[in-house]
Amino acid sequence: MLYTCLLPACQSEQHLGQYYTVPPSHFHTVFPHGLPPRYQQQVKTFNEGCVMVRQPALELISHLKRADYSKPTLRYLLYGVKGSGKTMSLCHTVHYCSTQGWLVLHIPDAHLWVKNCKELLPSSYHASRFDQPIQASNWLRNFRTTNEHFLSKIKLRQRYVWTKRESTEEGRPLGELVDMGVSRVKSSSDVVGAVLKELRLQAGGTEGGFRLAVAVDGVNGLWGRTTLKKEDKSPVAPEELTLVHNLRKMINNDWCGGAVIATLSQTGSLYAPSSAYLPQELLGEEGFDSMDPFVPVPVSLYSEKEFESCYLYYLDRHWLQHPHSQTEEGKKELIFLSNRNPSVLERLCAFL
Amino acid sequence: MAASLTGLLKPWTPRVLLVRWSRYNPYYLEPGPRKEVYHIPETELTPEQKEERELKSVRPIKAATNSVTSSVFNDPVLSKFVNMMMKDGDKIIAKGIITQTLENMKRKQVEKYHKAPEGKKAEIECNPYAIFHQALENCKPVIGLTSIQKGGKFYQVPIPLTDNRRRFLAMKWMITECRDNKHRRTLMYEKLSQELLAAFSKEGNVVKRKHELHKMAESNRAYAHYRWW
Repeated sequence: MLYTCLLPACQSEQHLGQYYTVPPSHFHTVFPHGLPPRYQQQVKTFNEGCVMVRQPALELISHLKRADYSKPTLRYLLYGVKGSGKTMSLCHTVHYCSTQGWLVLHIPDAHLWVKNCKELLPSSYHASRFDQPIQASNWLRNFRTTNEHFLSKIKLRQRYVWTKRESTEEGRPLGELVDMGVSRVKSSSDVVGAVLKELRLQAGGTEGGFRLAVAVDGVNGLWGRTTLKKEDKSPVAPEELTLVHNLRKMINNDWCGGAVIATLSQTGSLYAPSSAYLPQELLGEEGFDSMDPFVPVPVSLYSEKEFESCYLYYLDRHWLQHPHSQTEEGKKELIFLSNRNPSVLERLCAFL
Repeated sequence: MAASLTGLLKPWTPRVLLVRWSRYNPYYLEPGPRKEVYHIPETELTPEQKEERELKSVRPIKAATNSVTSSVFNDPVLSKFVNMMMKDGDKIIAKGIITQTLENMKRKQVEKYHKAPEGKKAEIECNPYAIFHQALENCKPVIGLTSIQKGGKFYQVPIPLTDNRRRFLAMKWMITECRDNKHRRTLMYEKLSQELLAAFSKEGNVVKRKHELHKMAESNRAYAHYRWW
């Protein structure tokens, strides 16, 4: 039994190790920007997107089903060694949330906001902060693709003034705000801040209330150091970036009616040793204090059953082509070379 | 010279002798890294294998190179190709390029396979190793040319080639073609995968170069008797 056709809502422990297909119609709406690049290539090659049902994702989904949404938000943190499947578990959970009709705020990689920024504008709203127009407008565009149907339903509760001539009135739909952010690139970071604030206020509401899922990949990038520099070559601290400042407010648990699911990531992180994978090491003191209390969800390497399932899936999709890789000897060698690490196995099977 | 001296060599003769690149005394035997050979029990050995085993217990054996493994995925032809592609001894980069090439070829073929209708699926070859070997076979020239001096002038004379020379020429042409005739921004593995797939279906510049060599040899048939070996 390799494949199951149930959507994430109906999956349970008996489906552990089986693959389920993400329907093609969901693909472009739910995941415009969340998936790891190698997985995207795999989807293009096999002409379908299959995700393995694994223990961490099932645990997260069961927590989300049973949580009480009138209390302050619970924060879940996925951690594990490099390549163990944290981002894929996050995407699995995000798919569940969007099939249940939640509003999903998916930040694909927080590290992209603290490094390699070509344009740093001083913020108009707050004197000592910096704006990142390109990253903000990209993210708003993807946010618009993911949550089309919510944009017309949510109304703003406050009047926002952008320049002397432009302002968005109270009661206008959220879609208008997002469109303005995408077109007016200069104020897009402030638009992001406004969007996050509105969603935070309205998430737990009883009339027309929706549930908000904040999914952040590489959350350890929000605390720590950046590689960006001001014009006088002094380093920029993460607090001085508008996007990071607003996102940190989102991750605080002072609002209710949703959940915050975060992943640690050493791969894109700055100034972190490559052997670090525990929350304490990657988040640092400041980050751990802000994230505390959270529900830690460890993501381990493949178990024997999961490895079998992955191996059979690759065989079924005609991906393992080397004649020796289909024998017992080859399989033992794959186990030895990859140590059951999902990403290492994927890279090995790519050229075998 | 080394072949005739083998009978005179004893274990106490010096280990190192200068014989072209190999500095080993020809008394030493080649290493045999495959595991299956040693798993056959005593009773099932053929007489030659028994002899070989006895010889191995007496004679010294050369040290195995770093590139030879007992892995089932070890391929001598591919290792030779990697060595030929290597520059300045950087085998990591060369091996990386080859693995990316194999992956790229497999991706293209598997994508075509999944999109093809049922009838055409059996004709699409997805195994990158099979494609590589077949492409190399298609590029190997059958006959070569050499320059022979006769009466003050040099003539291009057609000669037969050994297997090693043919394999070397095919690989050399493939690598030079991919290094020279590509756009500045195309990466090596991309160009290599395109050339190998073209050679697999007998199109492309390398196969063209092989055909041109054959035509030259055919046109110089008259000088074939200048060859004296």
